[in-house]
Amino acid sequence: MLNMTTDSYLCPYCSVRLDTFNLLKAHVRAEHSTDPLPLPEGIIQLTINKQAYQLYVEPEWMLYYVIHDRLGMTGTKMFCDRGACGSCTVIIDGRPVLSCMTLAIECNGKTIETIEGISADHHPLIDAYIKHHALQCGYCTPGFIVTAKALLDHNTHPTEDEIKQALAGNLCRCGTYPQHPKAVLEAAHVLQEGR
Amino acid sequence: MMMAEEPGSYQKLREEGQYHIGAEPLNITFNEIGRRGQRRLDGYEKATGKALYTRDMHIPGMLYARVLRSPYAHAKIKHMDTGRAERLPGVRAILRFDDPQVKGRDLNGSYFAQGWARPKLAGWALKPVHLVLADEAWYEGQPMGAAIVAESEAVAQQALSLIHIEWEELPFILDQEEALMPDAPILRPGAESNEIHDPRKFYEVGDVEKGFQTADQIIEFKARRRPHLWAGAEMPSVLVRWLDDRLEMWVHQQQPYIAKQLIAEWLNLPMDKVTVNTVYQGCSFGGRGNPANHSENGINVLAALLSKITGQPVKMLFDRRDTFFGESGDISISDFKVGFKNDGTITAVQMKNIFAVYLAATGIDHFVDNTRIVNLACEATPVDVSIGPAWWARCEHLTSCFSLTLVFDHVAATLGMDPIEVALKNDGTHGHDTGYLDQYKREHGFPDRDSLKECIEVGSQAIGWKEKWHPPGTRKLTNGKLHGIAFTWDHNWDDTRGTGSAAVMIENDGSVTIIGQHVDIGPNPWTPLCQIVADEIGVPFESVHIKPWTVDTGFVLMSPDGSCNLVTNGNIVRKAARKAKQMLLELAAEKFAVAGPEELDIRNGVIFIKADPANSMLVREVVAKAMPMHVSGAFWTQPPIIGWAWHNQGIWGQANETERPRLCRQAHFMEVEVDPDTGQVEVTHVVNVNDVGKAVSPEGVEGQMYGGTVMGVSRGTIEEMIWDPQTGVLLNGSLLDYKYATMLDCGPIDTPFIETGLGHGPYGASGIGEATATIIPALLGPAVYNAIGHWVDDFPITPDKVLKALGKIQQCSDE
Repeated sequence: MLNMTTDSYLCPYCSVRLDTFNLLKAHVRAEHSTDPLPLPEGIIQLTINKQAYQLYVEPEWMLYYVIHDRLGMTGTKMFCDRGACGSCTVIIDGRPVLSCMTLAIECNGKTIETIEGISADHHPLIDAYIKHHALQCGYCTPGFIVTAKALLDHNTHPTEDEIKQALAGNLCRCGTYPQHPKAVLEAAHVLQEGR
Repeated sequence: MMMAEEPGSYQKLREEGQYHIGAEPLNITFNEIGRRGQRRLDGYEKATGKALYTRDMHIPGMLYARVLRSPYAHAKIKHMDTGRAERLPGVRAILRFDDPQVKGRDLNGSYFAQGWARPKLAGWALKPVHLVLADEAWYEGQPMGAAIVAESEAVAQQALSLIHIEWEELPFILDQEEALMPDAPILRPGAESNEIHDPRKFYEVGDVEKGFQTADQIIEFKARRRPHLWAGAEMPSVLVRWLDDRLEMWVHQQQPYIAKQLIAEWLNLPMDKVTVNTVYQGCSFGGRGNPANHSENGINVLAALLSKITGQPVKMLFDRRDTFFGESGDISISDFKVGFKNDGTITAVQMKNIFAVYLAATGIDHFVDNTRIVNLACEATPVDVSIGPAWWARCEHLTSCFSLTLVFDHVAATLGMDPIEVALKNDGTHGHDTGYLDQYKREHGFPDRDSLKECIEVGSQAIGWKEKWHPPGTRKLTNGKLHGIAFTWDHNWDDTRGTGSAAVMIENDGSVTIIGQHVDIGPNPWTPLCQIVADEIGVPFESVHIKPWTVDTGFVLMSPDGSCNLVTNGNIVRKAARKAKQMLLELAAEKFAVAGPEELDIRNGVIFIKADPANSMLVREVVAKAMPMHVSGAFWTQPPIIGWAWHNQGIWGQANETERPRLCRQAHFMEVEVDPDTGQVEVTHVVNVNDVGKAVSPEGVEGQMYGGTVMGVSRGTIEEMIWDPQTGVLLNGSLLDYKYATMLDCGPIDTPFIETGLGHGPYGASGIGEATATIIPALLGPAVYNAIGHWVDDFPITPDKVLKALGKIQQCSDE
């Protein structure tokens, strides 16, 4: 997309201004002939669960909406609607982040991990959560597991108290709380055995 | 489609022997039933995020709908201009309150329930006007006025904000006592007062005046429970599409069959033209369990109409603010008068309860069901105020548990007696003592065990009651906090109501499928059904599966409410499994060339001759060879083995209407630490002992016990909906402002259940889903009393109330 103003031409690669269209063409040939095509406005690139995505987003779209509604990864859940419950948690560049409070357009170039990626990797948290019944209706469960995975990525030997603190931002209305530390400790143990 | 209002008397059903009273002799071996470590069948889908919920459903061409909400607590639309909203790009249709499809039409028709629960009286219908799209709002946030369907949820929401309305603001009232004052404005047009007529307003057995005369002491106290919310995880939604004159829906609904019934009636469709699909349900607790409420049938009707208008599938969605409807039905102001002997025998209980927007409980029931107290009186007054209609959310027994705990613990405190002794002194049913219960147990084939005593023994040992119980306000801990410990008790319950049907099919490879429409709201309902079928037929658990989703199977299991999930459905699948087994054995008798099926049995997937167990065949060998069809030189078979069953577990409530007294008891213990400087109450330890009769899934039982405890502690200490007294607008309509418990808000919870076989469900099981969350909130009262030496009978027990009780502040935040 060319950005034309009345008296100058903007290079879509490096935003330098040039006086004529011919000068712009010459500049692009000289400076950017081997560069990949520039991205149109509103297009972002994401790496989600090790897959590359390039997609158009409106400026007000939340990352949750892109992941759940546009890409169909329905494991990321909308529960509180307002950054209070942790059910929409995804891991962005290693940190657990609430996708309902994150603008998708600000995620350009980010590496994102969702529950779908964690389960595809057969992370031991999945089996541990099932075994310890750390779920009832299951709606908030993926958010807990994603948050717990982010914890275990940083802390391979968490204490029960560290697990509780890490998961204290996640709400579960069914009250499964007592089971989560058991499941996370077991998953940590399995990961340690595997190392 | 007019349907009869009365479904037939339970007397008749009972006389015809359609449901069973009494224990059944055990005639199977428990291999899978009661086994720990059984992998839950919903676990993989839920843990991996693959489980689909109503909100996740998406079909091509789907549009999004939102409904307008009243910004006022009480107001009428004088004029509504939807022009700007109609012109917004992406808007497909607007349904207005004055459009012919909806104008003047009530939400619910002739059918819903009998007596006091009929739609004209219950739930949503408690409000004076119950139109599907009204021009008058009776509470802030009421769905009304207009519904908009658009290409996206965002456009639909934006279009709502472009509707211009001239409002006539009308007087509102938030407090039920204020609503009863003689000069209060009347909220319901044409009514003489704001009191809602309840035919069960007065209840009395025995003679309370005489009871007070024979008492050694009489106490009086006042208590209050403020509004709280079901607040389930998944926000309500519905997805609807029309296929010619057939309607297909995906609902977030605890009772999908009733949803189907209601919408078919509203749309004047034959029920067989309506398909109601249910995927996983993100919590419910009854909050998605009143089909008569606007939040359920209302959104279904509006979505169906908008889908008809646009010719496209329509999904109607709530946002979180929209979910702040339907407070738990225990918003009450109560006056108690209790007479008792010095030995703890209670001679009379009199209570007056004033409920806000609620009409489904009186507060006296557990004294009737659960005690030998002869003289009981209750005056229950439901009152209309300008907040959303309340409904039972885990559960309608809240009011009764509230009064039972407070009355018993106040009596014990006055006498300085151990509350355990007071409980044991008064345990019984319908004015009879435990001797009557013991006789009933013997006559009906139940084990002769004292459930309450057993629960208390286990629980008091687990918490260290004897060592820790102390006079109120006398134990200060080294951290400066005041230690409190409390006990309460109740009967365990399943309401043993409901009917249902299911089929059990044995496939050609010997695997077994349970077929029946059923929604999952969380308590792991399907694993125990498979455990039951496995043991009833004699096959391994791993070879049994359940296909529970669409109603189009034609079999409908009992909806998961009233703690009737397993007690009703367990009986249904047990019956069906027995029929399938019988059919299998009859076919096997031919193959074995024995005289009849009674000579055979099945264990671990192997059919054998009882007298000669070595003579055996696999189940699949019998099924595959059962009924061959000769086709083009080859043998084929169709799955030949199927048994199906219908079962009626009862009508409503054990004691009152089925004459099945509640035999299972439960005992609850709690320790708290109260900070005398901040008033903060910390729950440091809870011990629940439920007599569940028989635990088919031990982990499932424990899940309900600790899960209910977390919810109960949360309700007792934090949860409260707060409206602005100046405007009537709800102030904390989000989960940031309406707090509930996180992982850090409750100490360790012990769940040592016992199994006496005293339940009315299969194998003596009793329900477990509702009991704990319903009892625990009130237990905060005696626990805080024991800590600080003063009663705080105003729930939730927030720090300001504690400080006021301690004399450290003069006023609470809302005074």
